[in-house]
Parts: sequence; structure tokens; C-alpha cells
Amino acid sequence: MERKCHAILMACSLLITFFLLVVTPAVAEPLKISVLTDMSGPYAGITAANVEAAKMAIADFGGKVLGEPIEFIYRDHMCKPDVANQKAKELYEKEQVDVIFDCPNSAAGLAVANQAKIHKKPFIAIGSGTTRLSGPDCNRYTFKWAYNDYMLATAVGLWAAENLGKKWYTITADYAWGHDLLHHFSEALKAKGGTLLGNEMVALGTSDFSPYILKAMNANPEVLVLLNAGKDAVNSTKQAMEFGLKKKVKIVHALLFIEDIKASGDIFADDYVTGAWYWKSDNPGSKEFVEKWKKQFNKPPNWMNAATYSAVTQYLQAVERAKTKDALPVIKALEGHEFRDLLANPGKIRAEDHMEIGNAYILKAKNPSEIKEDWDFFEIVGVIPPDKAYQDPKETGCKMDTTE
Amino acid sequence: MNLQFVLMQLFNGLILGSLYVLLALGLSIIFGMLGIINFAHGAFFMLGAYAAYTITSYVIPNFWLALISVPVLMAIFGAFCEMLLFRRLYDLPPLYIMLLTFGLMLVLQDAVRLLFGSMGVPFGTPKSLTGMINLGFMYYPSYRIFLIAVTSLTAAAVWLFLTRTRLGCIIRAGTDNPRMLQALGINISKTMTLVVGMGTGLAGLAGVLAAPIQNVRPLMGMDLLVDCFVVVVIGGMGSLGGSVVGGLIVGQIIAIGVMVWPPMANTLIYLFMAAFLLIRPRGLFGREAFHE
Amino acid sequence: MPRSQLVMLASFFALALVFPLVAPYEALASEILIFALFAMSYDLVLGYGGMLSFGHAAFFGIGAYSTGIILIRVVPSVPVALLGAVCVSSLAAAFVGYASIRRHGIYFTMVTLAFAQMFYFIAFKWTSLTGGDDGLQGVPRPNIGPTDIHPEINLYYFILALVIVSMFIIVRVVHSPLGTALQALRENRNRAMSVGYNVDRFRLVAFVISGCFAGLAGGLYALLLNMVPLGSLHWTTSGEVVVMNIIGGMATLFGPVIGAVSIILLRDIISNYTDAWSLFMGLIFMMAVFGFRDGIVGFFRNKIIPRANKILGQAFPRKH
Repeated sequence: MERKCHAILMACSLLITFFLLVVTPAVAEPLKISVLTDMSGPYAGITAANVEAAKMAIADFGGKVLGEPIEFIYRDHMCKPDVANQKAKELYEKEQVDVIFDCPNSAAGLAVANQAKIHKKPFIAIGSGTTRLSGPDCNRYTFKWAYNDYMLATAVGLWAAENLGKKWYTITADYAWGHDLLHHFSEALKAKGGTLLGNEMVALGTSDFSPYILKAMNANPEVLVLLNAGKDAVNSTKQAMEFGLKKKVKIVHALLFIEDIKASGDIFADDYVTGAWYWKSDNPGSKEFVEKWKKQFNKPPNWMNAATYSAVTQYLQAVERAKTKDALPVIKALEGHEFRDLLANPGKIRAEDHMEIGNAYILKAKNPSEIKEDWDFFEIVGVIPPDKAYQDPKETGCKMDTTE
Repeated sequence: MNLQFVLMQLFNGLILGSLYVLLALGLSIIFGMLGIINFAHGAFFMLGAYAAYTITSYVIPNFWLALISVPVLMAIFGAFCEMLLFRRLYDLPPLYIMLLTFGLMLVLQDAVRLLFGSMGVPFGTPKSLTGMINLGFMYYPSYRIFLIAVTSLTAAAVWLFLTRTRLGCIIRAGTDNPRMLQALGINISKTMTLVVGMGTGLAGLAGVLAAPIQNVRPLMGMDLLVDCFVVVVIGGMGSLGGSVVGGLIVGQIIAIGVMVWPPMANTLIYLFMAAFLLIRPRGLFGREAFHE
Repeated sequence: MPRSQLVMLASFFALALVFPLVAPYEALASEILIFALFAMSYDLVLGYGGMLSFGHAAFFGIGAYSTGIILIRVVPSVPVALLGAVCVSSLAAAFVGYASIRRHGIYFTMVTLAFAQMFYFIAFKWTSLTGGDDGLQGVPRPNIGPTDIHPEINLYYFILALVIVSMFIIVRVVHSPLGTALQALRENRNRAMSVGYNVDRFRLVAFVISGCFAGLAGGLYALLLNMVPLGSLHWTTSGEVVVMNIIGGMATLFGPVIGAVSIILLRDIISNYTDAWSLFMGLIFMMAVFGFRDGIVGFFRNKIIPRANKILGQAFPRKH
């Protein structure tokens, strides 16, 4: 009898403690969402608008969750990992945010993932593409949304090996990101029985790609793969065009956005690239999102913006399902969740490595003569299903610590 | 590695070297006269490319007009910078003008980013210069041949101006000893304005020429700037011949580095500079006790 | 050691004690302290030695990488890691200093820049050791004795303690015979040589001491960030510390500290309001050149204090 009494007492006090510790703050304090992104550095043209995408997602959600208004804050990390790291601390500690979104630049993403683990608050990485986030460096509090380097390389790699040609030549940016991409590209090529005629590693800061392009020309490939982004992608493509290489081979890129094409004229015409989404997509909610975006900014969103919208929306829905804003219940609500939204149709958040997966789209840049509508730069020429576009979670090297 | 590739690569080195020569010439005459490292030089280069873009896409879509007008416009801009900003600081240690140019660099880069966006702007090769030329032993893009021609002409013109005209004579004397020049009753401040204007104009010219083969974006000058310091130092500070030779050497080092050891192509120039300065402390043509 | 410098040090200490309360966030306060130390150590070279080194990011970065690598791979002990950082960066400074010290003026600047760039590219390429472009991730913060330095505020006071001790040593160095000799060299190299000073040796010693404290600052930076960004070795980091010195006022020791505080604080605050922060920083640098010709400290010393003295003197005329 006495023992039973004790047990009841214990259970009650535990419940009260639990209520005080967990439930009360969740009701008392509103949910605070933050976006940490590059707004003034080299990626700003792509990622600065993610702030607007997050705002739009919150507004479309009704501006409220669990009966409380949602607060929003953003910070600029200037594309510097040290600043990203410090700002993540500011957001988690001083601003008491419940979640951080985005964070382009691999080093910055990894740094913030570590802070998320230290502060035991979720971080949903969108902009940084490194596979380490859902691989060896994965942790319980970090999610990777919409794409990663494996998907960028593998999707267009598989498709190109099948549809463009089996003889490839690659020109690779000589740092971790480029090496990673090269590895996945050659795996995809091998899987389809193609041959890699040669690869050129290009040192950081190189503005003259002509020697590499000459070597590629001499090898006479069917497909030239340019594993670089931003200014390197523009420089190498400009120079491939100058040397007349573009007339002979198909060019495949690692990463291209509609803004890249807008900013560099017709040099990318007829090239191929992987995308997580395109604004002409007919996924549920996609058209409405694009319409609203166009009305507000006079241009369609890029797929990074759409990914941010999707991630924020899915997070808010997870908060509703968990009925609390606390980190672990929300993480549990996200893990293994399957959904259909504007970005992913269907989409799934894998519990094993916290990778959000969806279809990968093969985009072909249109010729200027085919462009009927401003900003309609791509056509979708292929779709790679999620199980092919993403690595098997058993092989990512992620050991998710579920005890935390 | 066949002979044709080696030859072509040496040609590529020449192209890269040409851009370095134009930038280093400007950097070097400004250094000679003012004794400062001009951090804004890369930004001037970038501004030249953007000016060419603005002219060809908003005023008259003609590359040749841009090629002629941009250096002039940039020279005027540089002269204004000198008259409004640099001039007030000549009585201070050169470090202050350096900080000023550093600030100017940030301001120009960010202002262009705000105006045109961080993604850059499109710039194609002029129609009449697309395609390849048969050089006998290989085909080479005509625009690049054109680039070498313009650079050689410009370098020759600058050299003639400095050695064969009275004004050039004054400038050369000024780089040697500005105070002496003043003592001789020559208006040094006008000379300074002219020199900074000339340097900036050369940077602007390099910008126009680089626009068709490079991504025109706000930070395009930043990458080249430090390389140009290397060029000027190898050539010898304040020496014009040094800038030309240094630019060609650095272009070739990078081109050869790409053939021999690609991942380190860009590191090689620093290795070379450090080693070179240990042997020749003042570069190729640097004079003793010059701004030291 | 003059009393004024002790007073400065004491007031810096007093202000630093309460600084985390008013700083935008605690981690930023720590960052400011670290860069204050870095800037002050650089003043030895630029302000007192008259050498414009453009390669100090190398020592800062090497300190940071050494600390990170020791903590991750060798032994998770902060004192050992920081000591290692100080040793390695002093060695690097001795090497770079030895190779460049005989060059003067702009050539000295360029040789130091060349070495720093080489270190940068080595760190960039040696991915297995440094993590390359991804930075060295996952630097731990093990307890120091019984103290847990995981909370930012604890780490802040740990950093403060080390920074104060280092600053004290730097102030002592400046007012030692070495410091006096350095200033003599800066003012008139030939005269100092004819008096019998070994110019190069003095310059080298100053360079190494400076590199040693830059390395310590770097080591603390690795602890603060739990990582080492590749950018810590980039030439822009060297540029930043030069700017901090000029803005704050060279050869004043506490000028660079004020420069570091104002630049980092301003950048953080401005970037919260506008993405054009770099435009504003540029404008501030340009205005600083015209406004505070001798740095912020010089501005107060030459403009404000004499004027205040004058006004005070008029208000309270001295009795004869």
C-alpha cells in the first residue's frame, strides 16, 4: 500500500516537473524561427531571398502555431564560417531561437551543425551541400534539406551517361567540394558503363581555364563535365565557348540557378544540370507559391528559395504534430515523415541520416530562341527518383546518435 | 603532353601576362609617384569592366566605343579620386593613403554589388572577334590575339609617353624624387593627378579587355590584386620595364605550373617571389633606397 | 613601465569584466578580446618596429590550427594545446622573420605576404590534416582543471585572464630596453646602427614576440569557434589587423585594442541592419583617415585632451 502511494506520488511529481519544465515554457513563449544565410557575400544573389521565402512560409502558415504568433529573425553570415558560427551562438543563446534554417557554404554549415548539437536545438541545413552533414558529421539536431552534393552529381551523371554519351571528360575545382562531386560523378558513370577519358584539377582562384579546355578538346569526349560553381562556372563556360568546344560536346554543370543564367547571357544555352525543383513545376502548391513570389519580387523563385519555403512549412507542421516547440519531440515528428509539398512530390525525411529526399530534376538550359517568357531558362528533361538520386542511408557513414 | 599543347599554353601565359602587365603598369606608376600600395586598383579594374557593360548594354551596343571611352572615363574618375581624396593625405605616412584605398575598394565593390547584384552581368565577345585564327601551328581564339596586340600597343605607348615627352620626363623625375621636382618649380600636384588618372585608366582598360573572357562580377578585381602585387614586386617597385617583364614572367609561371603541377599553379608565384626576393632583394629593376 | 600604461591596462581589465553584460552576445565579447590581443601584438611590429607585415594572419592561423589539431588528435588539454600553439607560431614567426627581416619597406611587406599565402595554400591543400576548405571542424573544449569552459561566459573569463597577462607582458616588452631600441630603429635606422645596435636582431626578436602572441590569439579563436576556418590564414585577416592598428592609433598599444573593439562591434551591429555592411565599413575607414589622423587614441590625445585642458584651465585658472 505504502509502496503504491510512493509510486503515485513519484509519478505525480514527475508529471508536474515535466509539465513545468517542458509544457509550460512551450505555451508561454512563442516559437522563434531564424534564417542564417549569405546576404552580402558571393552567394547572396541566390540565398538572400531565402529570408523572404521563410517569411512567406510563416505567413502562409497563418503566422501562428500552437495558438501563439511565430517570431522570425534573420542574420547575415557574409559567407564566412567563423561569422556563421558566432551568429549561430547569438541566435541560439541570446535570441533563444528554436531553429536555424539554411546556412550556405559547407564549412559554415558544418560549424552551425556542431553548434546545434551543442545547444540541442534543431538546425535545418539547406544551402550547404556537403554530404558530411548527412554523413560522418551528422547529428540528432541537424537535418539536410532538398539536395546534397551526392544528388547533384549522381542525378545528372546517371542521366547524362544514358542520354548524352559514354565518353566523359571532367574539369574539377580543386577543393573538398569538387573532389566530392568528382567521386560521385565517376561512380554514376561507372554504373552506366561509361568511361572517364580524363580529369583536370583546377587550383583555387584560377581565372584562365583555357589549358584545361585544350586538354579536354584533345581527348575528344562526348560530354564535358564542369565541376565548379559561380564565377568558375561562368569563366570555364565562357572560355569553352571561345575555343569552340561547345559546338562539339555536351556540357554538364554541377550547380546552376536561374540567376546564374540571367547574369551571364546565353553562355549556358543547351547545358545540363541537376535541380531540386523548377518554378514551372506542377507539384501541389507550387503554382500558388510562384505566383505570390512573382507578384512580390517581379521574378520567379529559385529552387533554394522553394526549398526554404518547404523546410519552414514542414518544420511548422512538425511542431503542430508534436504539440510542442521542444527540440526532441519536433525532431521525432520530423524523422521518417512523408509528405507532398511544392518542393518534394513525394518527399521523405529519412530517420537514418536526417536527409530530406525528393525527386531530382534534370534541367536543360534553353537556347535564347526558345525562351518565350522571361526567367523561363530551363526545361525539365528528366526526373530521377529519390532512391536513385540519394545515397543509400547505410552507405553515408552517418551514425545517428539517438540517445541524446 | 605534345608540342602543340606546350606552345598553346605558353600563349595562354602570354594572355594572362598581358592583363597583369596592364594592371601592374598602373599599380607601379602610382606606387612610384605616391609610394603607396593602391588597394583600390582591383576595384578600378572591376569598375572598368562594369563601365564597359553599362555602355554596351544601355548606351550604344558597340564594344569598340567601350574600349576607347572606358579608359578615358576611368582616368577621369581616378583623377577625381586623387584630387578629392589622396591629395589631402600626402603629408601623412603612406599607410594612411593605403587605408584610404582599402576603404575605397570596399565601397566600390559593395556599391557595384548593390547596383548590379552579386551574380555579375553578362558580357560576350564582340561579334567581329569571335572565332579562331590559324596561327600556322594551331588554331587560337581571335579575341585573345587581339588582347595581346592591344596590350603591346598600350605598353609601347606608355613607354613612349614616359620616355619621349616632357610630361613623361617629369613623371619619371617625380618617381625618383618628388621633392626635388617641387624645388625645381614644377607643379607636382598636377603631375600626381595625371599619374593616378593614368594608372586608373590602364586598370579600366584591363577591365574592358578582361570582360569578354571572365565573369564580370563585383569581386573580380580582388583575385587579381594580390597577383599583381607579386608582379610589381618581382619586376621591382616603381619600374615600368619591371612591370612588363614581371607580368610576363608571372603569366608564364602560372601557365607552366598548370602543365607541370596544376594544383599548385597559383602557389608557385608566391614561392617564386619569396625565392626571388631572397636573391634579388629589390626585384628585377628595383632601385636602392626607393620608398624604403 | 609608466603609470599611464598601467592605468590603461587596469581600466581595460575593469571594462572587460563587465563587457559581456553589454556586448550584443557573449561569444562576440570573446571574439573582440581575441582580436584585441591580436591587434596589440601586431602593434609591436607595425607601431614600434615600423615594419608593415602583411603576413600576420599566418601566425594567427597557425596558432589556431595547432590548437585545434592538438586538441583533436594529441591530447584534449587546453593548456597543452595553447602552449603548443604559442611554440609553433613562434617558430613560424622566427622562420618568416629570419627570411624577411633584411628586406625593408614595401619588399618586407611583400615577402611576409608571400609566406602567408604559402601557409594558406598549404592549409588549403593538406586536407587530411586541416580539413581544407571545410575548415578544421569539431575542436573540443575540454575542462581546464575543475572549470567547465563550455558555457560562453566561462570561456570569456578564461580568455580575459590570458589576454590580460599577455597584454601586461607586451606592455613590459615595449618599455624594456628592447622596446626603446626598436623605437630608436624606427625613428632613425642609421643613427641606431652607428650607436651599435644590431638592427636585424632587434627587429627579429620583436617579430617573433609578436608572432607568439598572435599565435596565442589564434589558439583562443579555435577554442571559441569549436573550429578553425580556413579564412583565418587568408590575407584579408592580415589586412584587418593592419586596419585595426591604423584606425585605433599605431604605437599606442591600447589604440589597436580600441581599433579591434570598434571594428568588430561595428561590423556586427551594421550587418544586422543592412547587407551593405561592407560599404559602410569602407566609408568608415575612409572617414577615419580624414577624421582621426593618428587613430582614435591620437584623436583624443591631440585634439580632445588639449582642448579639454584648455577649457578646464580657463575655468579653473591656476593660482600663482
